[in-house]
Amino acid sequence: MGSFRSASDPAERSDAEPTRGDSELDTLLTMVARGDQGAFETVYDRLARPVYGLIRRVVRDPAQSEEVAQEVLLEVWRTASRFDPARGSAATWALTIAHRRAIDRVRSETAATEREQRSAASPVAVDEVAETVEATLEAERVRRCLDGLTQLQRESITLAYYGGYSYPQVAALLGTALGTIKTRIRDGLTRLRDCLGVSW
Amino acid sequence: MRLSRRQTHELAGAYALDALDGAERDRFERHLRRCPACERTVRGFAQTATALAMAAAVEPPPGLRERVLTAASVTRQAPPALAGRHGRAATRPGSGVPGRSSGGRSPWVPRVAVAIGAAGMAAAVALGAVQISTQHQLNSAVAREAQIAAVLTAPDARIATAPTSVGGTAVVVVSRTQQKMIFTSSGLPALPSAKVYELWLLGPRSARPAGLLPPPSGGRTAPLLASGVAADDKVGVTVEPAGGTSSPTTTPIVVLTLPA
Repeated sequence: MGSFRSASDPAERSDAEPTRGDSELDTLLTMVARGDQGAFETVYDRLARPVYGLIRRVVRDPAQSEEVAQEVLLEVWRTASRFDPARGSAATWALTIAHRRAIDRVRSETAATEREQRSAASPVAVDEVAETVEATLEAERVRRCLDGLTQLQRESITLAYYGGYSYPQVAALLGTALGTIKTRIRDGLTRLRDCLGVSW
Repeated sequence: MRLSRRQTHELAGAYALDALDGAERDRFERHLRRCPACERTVRGFAQTATALAMAAAVEPPPGLRERVLTAASVTRQAPPALAGRHGRAATRPGSGVPGRSSGGRSPWVPRVAVAIGAAGMAAAVALGAVQISTQHQLNSAVAREAQIAAVLTAPDARIATAPTSVGGTAVVVVSRTQQKMIFTSSGLPALPSAKVYELWLLGPRSARPAGLLPPPSGGRTAPLLASGVAADDKVGVTVEPAGGTSSPTTTPIVVLTLPA
């Protein structure tokens, strides 16, 4: 952890090895864009678990999560031609869609009410994030890197990403000033990025 | 309002985690289009978030795969965004992800693709299910595909899927305003030549025959169009003697409730 980079220059490039540059998935998605259903089956097999798992984290309710996952995976098929490998990996492209759709679902008014009631009844279990559902190497690595963050950085990031809260909501939940949360999310992500050796 | 460089860099993290709402997000996105360094930062953060997502992977419920693949087989794909301002504006900066929906869209059932071209044959190709050998077949196929395309492109088109009791998945696309639906399926077992799958509109009092499914080919049945869909109809499929019957003689292998 001693080597993590200062967060003061976000434009500074990480020179760590790229993590699993998944160019195979990129290629498959390009084939999907041309209507290749066989390629889409493979893409499904590669992405369905993270897509569904991420949506489960944010949405919680299994039935709703399944609906959102179906919608997202169909959107991957439908909008594959919009994927541009020059701007990020296929996995990032698809999981960005998944996260956003999950957020759309939980930030709708009814869902917000329910969630507020739920979180009033039982405070958000931040630790839940650390207990990874499946002990994959990737999950282990991510957990290790999350452990390297300060508590406030970790809580801010996990509440925002896995919890699906906006940063003002995160600030309210943690009883911390807005500006502080903004900074902690940014610094924490920088640290996480460098710890994971993400190429960008 | 112009954000200072420092403020903008601080927002990059929250933005990459979808933790900005409304006006703030819009403002940041406008800034992002003019700031390659910010875009690079967001890209790195988005890749980092991907690692968080990967770490959350769990096995989806059984049946999701079949439903997604079947729905894909009847969903036309969006055309690529062409270079230039339009394509640029249509995607979210830094990700190539289509812009956030502006709300109002039903989140419960995926909207069927809305981009089917006017040409019926485009739909035929999209549906991957038309084989044509004569001019007459071509004419009727074009007419039929045009009707299918009209349902698929209806603003109120909705899709419903369900597993069948004999395996495979049934898919229905319905347009309430047109009172029409399209039925297709994947993974249905092939039947002996003396049997056929028959489609039914199941009203509260009676079942109306809605056509015979074409024999499965490549694991899928070609789309079947049914008209006169009433508000309280459900859709069912039974196995019947070749030629079909006027009322069901066996237990349906699937009954679908049509989305509202």
